[in-house]
Amino acid sequence: MTAETPNDLAAAIVGFCRFARTRGLSGGVQATLAALAAAASLGIARQEDLKCGLRSVLCSSKEEWDLFDGLFEAFWSGSDSPRAKQSTKRREAAESFENRENAGALMSGAVASGVSEDEGSQAVTGASARERLRRADFSTLNQDDLAALEQIALHLLGRMSRRLSRSWRIANRRGKVDLRRTIRHNISRGGEWIDLRYREKRPRPSRLVILLDISGSMSPYSLLLLRFVYALKKHFKRVDAFLFSTELVEITDTLRALRLPDALRALSQVAAGWSGGTKIGASLRDLNHLHARKLRHGDTFFLILSDGLDTGEPEELAAELRAVKRRVRKLVWLNPLLALPNYQPIAQGMSAALPHVDVFAPAHNLESLLALEKHL
Amino acid sequence: MDHSPANSPGASGKDVDAILSGFERLHYIADRSLATAIYLVAKLRKPILVEGHAGLGKTEVAKALAAFLGTRLIRLQCYEGLDVSSALYEWNYQKQLLAIKIQEQSNQTVEEKERHVFSREFLLERPLLQSILAEDASPVLLIDEIDRTDEAFEAFLLELLSDFQVSIPELGTISAKHVPFVVLTSNRSRELGDALKRRCLYQWIDYPSFEKEMRIVRARLPGMEDELAGHVVRYVQAVRQLRLSKQPGVAETLDCAQALMALGKRRLDAEGLEETLGCISKSVEDSERVRTASGDLLIASTTGRR
Repeated sequence: MTAETPNDLAAAIVGFCRFARTRGLSGGVQATLAALAAAASLGIARQEDLKCGLRSVLCSSKEEWDLFDGLFEAFWSGSDSPRAKQSTKRREAAESFENRENAGALMSGAVASGVSEDEGSQAVTGASARERLRRADFSTLNQDDLAALEQIALHLLGRMSRRLSRSWRIANRRGKVDLRRTIRHNISRGGEWIDLRYREKRPRPSRLVILLDISGSMSPYSLLLLRFVYALKKHFKRVDAFLFSTELVEITDTLRALRLPDALRALSQVAAGWSGGTKIGASLRDLNHLHARKLRHGDTFFLILSDGLDTGEPEELAAELRAVKRRVRKLVWLNPLLALPNYQPIAQGMSAALPHVDVFAPAHNLESLLALEKHL
Repeated sequence: MDHSPANSPGASGKDVDAILSGFERLHYIADRSLATAIYLVAKLRKPILVEGHAGLGKTEVAKALAAFLGTRLIRLQCYEGLDVSSALYEWNYQKQLLAIKIQEQSNQTVEEKERHVFSREFLLERPLLQSILAEDASPVLLIDEIDRTDEAFEAFLLELLSDFQVSIPELGTISAKHVPFVVLTSNRSRELGDALKRRCLYQWIDYPSFEKEMRIVRARLPGMEDELAGHVVRYVQAVRQLRLSKQPGVAETLDCAQALMALGKRRLDAEGLEETLGCISKSVEDSERVRTASGDLLIASTTGRR
């Protein structure tokens, strides 16, 4: 460190903030100002203190925290250390990946086409286009539409999860007195509170367990359903998510990852190399045996997203689903095929499953996903 | 701490040292990184967000800070469904209704009556309002487990943290006389919003090194013999390598050490390990994994070799 006067120090700090920003830290001008203030009060007598101080000012997550030391070394030693370079490369790779082929295309198995999200949203503009996309079957969308739809989905699903999280609702019995409505209602009685009005906590299942079918037959839908899973994550106290085709993989931890694109990328790797074929029964058996304590009667909401084209034994599916049903509050099966005009749930697996399902609903387009709100 | 250390190089280093030793006197073993962050909390008057796994003393940071500054600790424990009326303020409706009934026969004007029922007497002060109303010194406001609340509350909190004033329609705007020192903790069960994170200093608390954990055990359990303390700390550090679904934190180390002391053990043995298993692992699966590895764990903790 060569900074000697306050001005030199300030210039160096600003330089470092700029450096750090290009290499993965998120702070803006505010962070730089805070860093300057921190440096001014810490001084340069002890480099260790300055490092700790800048770290707590500039970082805002564990990921950035881990990155910081390398960046600090790299900058103050004057050269870009191999470690920092590596992480830069990783990040650049990640960014170009996001721009070039949004992780979505990868999940749905489509070939990367080089369409950016901007071009995509230009291709469809205006409310009517948006309406069309809301109703469009996921499997019929082309690359342009997919990008635009993802934008809309993110927005609408976000709104849905916010609406669901409002924690009070109007009630007729028990709960807290809703003063506002009580006063309003009793105006006709001269302001005497004869009739009390109440509100109560919106009852909500605090846990959600999701099983997402990613077998070949479901691939056009997997991505958007995964987005749906991601949006629901905010609404429940706890979400346990699993992928399955012939076996069961838990993705709860992956979903907790920092940002959606990262999560999708990680999941596409998990899912990669899985061949077709669906063994719903066997997957449910794994769930019942290995993850039973995640199903707690009374407050668990269980969601299966699958087309029910099962290659396993229907008896096993029925038995395992019954076992699940006994443990959860509500069992919802979302099936994208349900939207087909002449679809009958007569596939062996599906017909075996139906008696144990509380809600059987379509999941082929955005509107059908949003309609689920009323069951939650 | 209102001098300008830029003009007096090294002064900040002394302040950080003072925090370190002050915290140690309070039996909180901080590392330099945390002490520097605490120093900046006081200097820059920014809130600090402390993240880390459970049982590593996140909440203790605020308690130690309050004790160090000799000021009041006001704690807001967050939970799902926490709303403004239980975090900030609420009118004591029952008391107001009674007051109205009592006043019915008096010949006060309506305005006077209204002023009376909407006075401070009828205000239920919740933690956030308490922290703003502090009379004599800046209190430490601990907002514990912020990740348990929803986004709506987080947004509200953000607004409060930026100007430390509250508008109560019936009373007017109340500004903080002494801006509180704010410590937020999170277990990362949900990502916090960018805006909130950007406003805060950040501190990640990791599992402690062997040396640091030894110091913590010595500070917290002064009556403990060094040999047993060494065994327990090495044992827990080895258990952390097992990647259990619930990793034992420092709190678990202390529980385990206390349990062994209560059992009258001088050193860790197979029996003691079995008897204190419940202190270390909190699920059947984890217990099973610890039990399977118990031979290796015992060797690692009593000989110091992995």
